[in-house]
Amino acid sequence: MNGPSHSFWSGKSRWVIYGALITIVVLNMLPIALTLIVSFKTHEDIIRIPPQLFPCDTPTQAFDLSACRWSLEGYDRVLMLQPSQESFWGYDMTGKIVATYGGNTVLYAVVSSLFVVLFAATSGYAFSRYRFRGHNALLTGIIAITGVPLLTNLLALYQMGIGIRTLGLPYDDRVFIILVYVGFFLPLSVWIAKGFFDAIPRDLEEAAMIDGCSPLGALFRVTAPLAAPGMIAIFMLTFVNVWNEFLAGYLLVTKNANKPVMFGLYEFLGQNLVNLQVVAAACAIIAMPVVILFLFFRRHFFTAMVEGSVKG
Amino acid sequence: MSPNIHSLKKQSWFDKSLPVWLLLPTMLALLVVQVYPTLYTIWLSTQEHDAAGWKFVGLDNFERLITLNQFGESVGLTIVFLVFHVALTMLGGFITAFLLSRKIRFSGLFITLLFIPWVLSHVIVGFMFRLMVAPDYGVFTGYLMDPARFPPNGLSILTAVPPKPWIPGFPFPPAPAMWLLILASTWRALPFVTLLILAAIQMVPAEVVESSRIDGANNWQVIRHIVVPLILPTMVVAIFNVILNGMNGVAIIFTSTGGGPGTATQILSYLLYSIGWSRIQFGRAAALALIIALVNWALILATLRFTKIEEGHDQV
Repeated sequence: MNGPSHSFWSGKSRWVIYGALITIVVLNMLPIALTLIVSFKTHEDIIRIPPQLFPCDTPTQAFDLSACRWSLEGYDRVLMLQPSQESFWGYDMTGKIVATYGGNTVLYAVVSSLFVVLFAATSGYAFSRYRFRGHNALLTGIIAITGVPLLTNLLALYQMGIGIRTLGLPYDDRVFIILVYVGFFLPLSVWIAKGFFDAIPRDLEEAAMIDGCSPLGALFRVTAPLAAPGMIAIFMLTFVNVWNEFLAGYLLVTKNANKPVMFGLYEFLGQNLVNLQVVAAACAIIAMPVVILFLFFRRHFFTAMVEGSVKG
Repeated sequence: MSPNIHSLKKQSWFDKSLPVWLLLPTMLALLVVQVYPTLYTIWLSTQEHDAAGWKFVGLDNFERLITLNQFGESVGLTIVFLVFHVALTMLGGFITAFLLSRKIRFSGLFITLLFIPWVLSHVIVGFMFRLMVAPDYGVFTGYLMDPARFPPNGLSILTAVPPKPWIPGFPFPPAPAMWLLILASTWRALPFVTLLILAAIQMVPAEVVESSRIDGANNWQVIRHIVVPLILPTMVVAIFNVILNGMNGVAIIFTSTGGGPGTATQILSYLLYSIGWSRIQFGRAAALALIIALVNWALILATLRFTKIEEGHDQV
């Protein structure tokens, strides 16, 4: 975000800009703020009719800060902390959202992102450095693939899952879902990786090869370190995509013990139609890791996104 | 000066075929997860499942799909959804990007805060917007249900039936729930569009703006005649991306309106889900999936033709 600063706006309009931006930011944060407020309410305050924005009213006053009834009830019912001798924290989180589904999602997101980075790096490098028969056809094919909606492929992948299961192989739907995520998020990543490699001068590799490095050695010893920021960007983007993906995890994973966290949230929503504070707390807990990741790596996210959309 | 690499080091068979090995894992993954499923869907769209197994029925699935009442309604709903979703997203993104393009204090903080929705799952976004208007307990429900504001019985966003259409058969004006869905999708798509436009605005050469100022152009003229034409290609890429994501997104509907009330927010992607997995009519779902894929391909082709630049699309 360090482009040249333009004088589209004359000096007098500075305060107008501040005012407009602050308004936009406040409106933008409103849904998040409301969800967080709900997540800290007690059940009694949730089911009051008519609903109150803040649980801070008393029989005599409409708003009294000292009388606010904030509570961690929602979070407690998501995490279901149980005292435990073995746990480092002294507590175990027994709620299924974190203990079962959360763990699955971390596994799926980390493993698929690693594979996507590896495959996108090698093929992005090949597309950037080599001219071979079918080069452009393959690249165009990869774009065409992104035009098939996820939902379209799910019909076939769902049938594929059923087919593999009836074969009686040692089938694990965790391997299957990771493969599906890798395939879903690879095409975009290949394009992003190609863009990053295009920006690295070839001379460096050629120099390494003159010094006796093999082409593969040049890729991993010389080019890969230079492309590291791009690879981190692809990892982050894929991690967040897999973390947030709902439909594939919902439809393709059959064993409840293997389902990802977004399925857990959807199931939770069905079970807690009236306990809005519990679902809001679950949303906050599930969104927290990716929001923190975004705050720490936002520059990488921005480059990956611009690279993937308006390259050139 | 430059020595021939190949003469210095004899290349092994492995090194010569290196591009193949580098591409192989990607191609295999894409074949299994993307190419085969697409071909399977084409086959599936000509099949019908009965007691004996799959049976070839030609184009029957397409015919039955198109004559389905819900299909026509769903096409109309998809158009209404896309028109307002795209218009609001582009307008909001354009204004925000313009405000951010001026170097001001705290712009980093503004950008960070504005971008948080971009990493939230559609499942969560859908629920957050549902939370505001949920029957009885939603944050704004008390306000909306007041008969004095919305006669005669107050406005219940998630259950109110659509008003009488202006043109018979075309679902406009849509049900209040559709506005909620449009709002939620727009909120989620705004950061992406803002960043694209902001990046394009920052690429506008400062000299061009300066010289037009010297020639006496005012703010509005600079924006209208210099900046907008220069960022137009990016705007088009952004529009196609928003359409693609909007048309294929289904998770946000699951947790906000569930396609309801009735079928009032059942856009094509949700109809596909409900034909496939609620009614278990995979052949007909495959026919619909192909129709959606064809529209997507047309859009991508148009983007490529228009910009001739490399592009992917936002899948966050």
